[in-house]
Amino acid sequence: MRRLLIAGSTALALALIGADKFTLAGAAAGSTDEASLDELLASDCLDDAAMEVAQAAARLPQEGGVASDAWPPNAVGGVIPPLRSVSDPFPTFDGIALDTENDRVIFSDENRHSLLVYDRTAGGASNDVTEPRQWVFGPKTLLGYIAGVEVDPKRKEFYTVNNDSGDRMTVFSYDSDHGNVQPRRTLILPHQSWDVSLAPTRDEIAVTVQQSNAISLYKRTAVGTAAPIRTIRGLATELEDPHGLYFDETHNELIVANHGNWTQIRPYSPYDPQTTDVGEYKSGAFHPSAITVHAADANGDVPPLRTIEGDLAGLNWPMGLDVDLTHDEIAVANYGDSSVRVFRRTSKGNVQPIRVLRGALTQIVGPVSVALDTKNEELWVANYGDHTAVVFPRTASGNVRPKRVIRNAPKDTPTCGFTNASAAAYDSKRDEILVPN
Amino acid sequence: MFARSANGNVAPKRVIEGQATNLSRTMHGIAYDGIHDEIVIPVALSGAVLVFKADSTGEVPPLRAIQGTRTRLVRPHTVAVDPVNNEILTADPSSRAIFVFDRMANGNVAAKRVISGPQTGLLDIVGLDVDPIRNVIVASSRKGNGDKVGIFVFDRLANGDVPPKQFIGGANSKLAHFRQVAIDPATGNIFLAQQNTRMKQMEAYVLDKPREGFKAKEQEEDDDSDEGRLDQMGFIAVYAPDDNGDIPPRAIIKGPGIRMAGAAGVALNPKKKEVITVGGNGFQTFLLPEFFKPFRKPGGTALPR
Repeated sequence: MRRLLIAGSTALALALIGADKFTLAGAAAGSTDEASLDELLASDCLDDAAMEVAQAAARLPQEGGVASDAWPPNAVGGVIPPLRSVSDPFPTFDGIALDTENDRVIFSDENRHSLLVYDRTAGGASNDVTEPRQWVFGPKTLLGYIAGVEVDPKRKEFYTVNNDSGDRMTVFSYDSDHGNVQPRRTLILPHQSWDVSLAPTRDEIAVTVQQSNAISLYKRTAVGTAAPIRTIRGLATELEDPHGLYFDETHNELIVANHGNWTQIRPYSPYDPQTTDVGEYKSGAFHPSAITVHAADANGDVPPLRTIEGDLAGLNWPMGLDVDLTHDEIAVANYGDSSVRVFRRTSKGNVQPIRVLRGALTQIVGPVSVALDTKNEELWVANYGDHTAVVFPRTASGNVRPKRVIRNAPKDTPTCGFTNASAAAYDSKRDEILVPN
Repeated sequence: MFARSANGNVAPKRVIEGQATNLSRTMHGIAYDGIHDEIVIPVALSGAVLVFKADSTGEVPPLRAIQGTRTRLVRPHTVAVDPVNNEILTADPSSRAIFVFDRMANGNVAAKRVISGPQTGLLDIVGLDVDPIRNVIVASSRKGNGDKVGIFVFDRLANGDVPPKQFIGGANSKLAHFRQVAIDPATGNIFLAQQNTRMKQMEAYVLDKPREGFKAKEQEEDDDSDEGRLDQMGFIAVYAPDDNGDIPPRAIIKGPGIRMAGAAGVALNPKKKEVITVGGNGFQTFLLPEFFKPFRKPGGTALPR
């Protein structure tokens, strides 16, 4: 039997979590205990999923792997269960794409790295989880910390973009792509791409890139390492930490939601040289959030056609947006104040929205995306701050209740709120753990 | 901000977010200043370091913001605070530098000291901490060719293009794809969060431009994933303050507990002897008193039992 040395403290930790299958006399006496890996794995654990991984790891050949009992030599510690574990086991809605031709709605799930497809009429007043009709989930899917999602009703395909952990767009198909499946095709993208929008007539896709403050455009069928056919980037563009994107083919425009952060990013990867000549250094800046509108044919450092920005607009970390070409309106998920703001499509400057959906009755909590349905006169909102999406009449305004709720977890399930957290600090005064996203 | 005792699927006690905070949704580091009760945080997408009152909540502006042409900040990734010597440190992989600012710096101010240049060996600097007791700065940095991938220890007052006084890295160390470092102030023990044991892969793009000659490895797993391949699991490694060279860690947390076998962040609660690890959209707390004891034999491999 392979054996794993567990120090007294670890045995104590096991005792604290109720792992009473261990002999803890040694721990009580302050001496070193031994417990086999098999025993450890057989014990109760606070994180069942983690234990499943451990069991799989134990079955693998261990030559050179750090899961091996033998490495590092003579070190204390090893495969140790956590005393406490904080995570959200449920999906969290992020991007949303609506297909009124085939009556589907597709959500990206940043927390569990999955795509969920529902009937367009899904949801209601139930407190229970709404069952998706299709769920793309698992390592073969290549889904990471995904953000925006797009749908191609004609080809019955849906797209999503990895914002982190695998810089690529993946494309899946209706019906057959369910579970742990490989994408139909993939396209490598710049790091921190956030949203994707399809122009079916031009046969192009557009992608926002946060860290480069750019919009990259590709042929719809581009795969692998195909290069963008053009890129809109530079100081004059006023693209600043761009997120949501809509490709308006009717007016030949690209509409973008910007958070307002700007820095002249320079190469930083471990494969780039120590110094890179990118010209004069320009400092970072905080600008107000804005919606910028760009010519779809723009290429390079081209100013926007118009911008919505200012106190009256009330933009606050605007995320996904959608455009209603029938009524000439732009709807944007305003994450910072948990609202949805609707503007005239042609507005510019410091203008008030024509409608605002906000308030406790709306159940809008940390919205990340919206979708407008002019065929069925509905407005969809995907909440990141709650395990829900909420559906309103298209012209709803103020503090009103949604007509339907789609749940990816039982009602009142908390959300940790993580979006690829990768650092921590401990606040000794308040006895708190601090985690940035 | 979560209660230390948080366990399971719980909501944070407090959140600082929104336009007025000047934060973004892309932040890779954080430090707490226990003497002045402040939080320090880098904002990668606006070339800034922000300082907040530690009891802040909601959409509140920072107390101070370091940003501007004199700062030379581009994409600050990680931060540390030295409340004893009144300094804030940040490492910027785009600038390839460690910047040391006065703790009260605000606005467009120059760094007091900058550690950068070929002799430093620094490149993709992803972790940083400072030990005011032993007067050292500890940074984790990666080079794509496998050379100088590891932990760099500099004199706290180092300035300019200077070599590290210690370096931990090499084949025996298994250090490859890591991030945050943390120092236990009592012992000087150095903690490092490693996501997996495979070197970070080359990105297909240099910012928004396709990398010349890049060949994609289709269907390969994401090297940034915290759920890395089981035979390339990450770990939390612990070293003694004087450790140097191509050596394995003296203490380790490995396996599924560290967020499905890899962690990007690590923080310490020395009073309770707890190690907090972050990754994979979650965090874990481990109770490990042995990890907070000094090594009796510098250069040895075993902790006292």
